[in-house]
Amino acid sequence: MLVLSRKLNESIVIDGRIVVTIVRVEGDVVKLGIQASRDVPVHRQEVYEEIQKANQGALTKGRPAVPKLPQKPSPPSATPSRSTEKSIPAQEKKIT
Amino acid sequence: MKLAELAEPEILPVTTENVVRLPLGLLGFEDIKQYVLLSKPDEAPFLWLQMLDDPNLAFLVVPPAAVISDYSPDISPEEVEFLGLIDSQDTLVFNIVTLRSSGNGTVNLKGPIIVNRHTLIGKQVVPLNAMDYSSQHPLPI
Repeated sequence: MLVLSRKLNESIVIDGRIVVTIVRVEGDVVKLGIQASRDVPVHRQEVYEEIQKANQGALTKGRPAVPKLPQKPSPPSATPSRSTEKSIPAQEKKIT
Repeated sequence: MKLAELAEPEILPVTTENVVRLPLGLLGFEDIKQYVLLSKPDEAPFLWLQMLDDPNLAFLVVPPAAVISDYSPDISPEEVEFLGLIDSQDTLVFNIVTLRSSGNGTVNLKGPIIVNRHTLIGKQVVPLNAMDYSSQHPLPI
């Protein structure tokens, strides 16, 4: 594994198209900013592996019988709301 | 963008086969980018995402409203832009089901598949509030 030392606000460039910046350091938590094009998926490793494993376990051959869910009254339709969170600049991803 | 209770399978004609394109694939299946969304009345509310190029392989999916009453994945602005969503009403939401023994199963609420219902382009996203949800939520059987 390549190991590089970086200070706050310094970056590394991967493959000329992905920039990873040290945004904040607090105790043992490092905040990284990742700039990459939209077709480069970025995930926390443990979350990626959990979902990957779930997907692999869910793949079926053919289409086996599906479970029967109990009938329930349809819930009232929720009112969708636009997120009010602070929007981060497009194509910039922050990962803690 | 907050998504809540939006997926309504009945809006898809039950006998129609619909090709859903996932440009980034599913996590762990990044190379498989085209799926046929199949729904049969006797399997409702479940649907199948069947690989277009390998019809023998499929994922069982379910609209989250059928299994949990207060599901509200929070989708980042990058995902919204990627999917070309203008309004949360533009979306279909599906969650992948893992069939377990004895007719039971679990639902992955941590990695929903969000589909733009107009373009049928979708993506398996990790919502900003993914930590609030289980990847093995039991089916309400």
